[in-house]
Amino acid sequence: MRRNDFEAMGTTCSLIGDADLDAGERWVHALAARITRFDESSELSRLNSSCGRWVDVSDELEQMLRASLHAYEVSGGLVNVAVLPSMLAIGYTRPLRQGWGSPSPESAQPLPDLRAVLGVRQGRARTLTPIDLGGIAKGWMADRLCEILGGQVLVNLGGDLFARGEWPVEVGGTTYLLRNLGAATSSTRKRRSGEMHHLIDPRTGLPANAEIEEVSVVASTALEAEILAKTMLIGGRAAA
Amino acid sequence: MINVRSLLLKVAATALSLAATAASAAYVTSHVKNPAAPLQPPVLASTSIRPTDVQPVTSTYAS
Repeated sequence: MRRNDFEAMGTTCSLIGDADLDAGERWVHALAARITRFDESSELSRLNSSCGRWVDVSDELEQMLRASLHAYEVSGGLVNVAVLPSMLAIGYTRPLRQGWGSPSPESAQPLPDLRAVLGVRQGRARTLTPIDLGGIAKGWMADRLCEILGGQVLVNLGGDLFARGEWPVEVGGTTYLLRNLGAATSSTRKRRSGEMHHLIDPRTGLPANAEIEEVSVVASTALEAEILAKTMLIGGRAAA
Repeated sequence: MINVRSLLLKVAATALSLAATAASAAYVTSHVKNPAAPLQPPVLASTSIRPTDVQPVTSTYAS
């Protein structure tokens, strides 16, 4: 069994198994570079700056945008990728290894209905509000990379993971054997500066006033686990 | 005689109603579900996940 740990998307990633893990790492770096909001030339930044015009998108970005619309639907609107203006308002203006920017929370607005601002067609997309794929991308990528690598493999992208085959994984302090399952954790303790943290409540456009600090979920895919964890953290016990 | 039979039937019906009410209340309180919650995720099969003492290879964590 081989293991490949590396940094990508501002977090630690781990690939474990007998597959071609170096190819897996290259795939993560290449896709992460296309969907980062911190590079003006990235595919996502070009979509964000298109001012509502339809633009060509890759198959991967199209699928992540469709996953974002799915997340919006099943979470009752609590998971909303049209969150970039709020991220900038709270000072999350650059990769956090460079530190937080100056917050201006008074400029934050409730997030729009994602179905009204984000359109996705085959190979094309448009958005009226800048988006940040965040955990949706990590969850989708963990699921997809497991398919690509094949065999018994575990892909962990910053805590959003999928276990293809059976693997012992620590979830919330307890170790479980996961077989063909995804898992994710959302927390307000990380990516935090004072009262600001990166989990935005779409009803206010500001950091969620969460009654729960951390949620870990095991689900059929990493993407579903990510959606469930974030929804429960933002929506509180009423959403659980 | 008829009055006794009628009375017994009423008592039996009342007891049945009370038992059904108590059983329903017990079931509902032990299966709490919020119908207003946006998420109604399916519960995973227990064969797909089980606790273990094996050393974990990784963990899910907030990042």
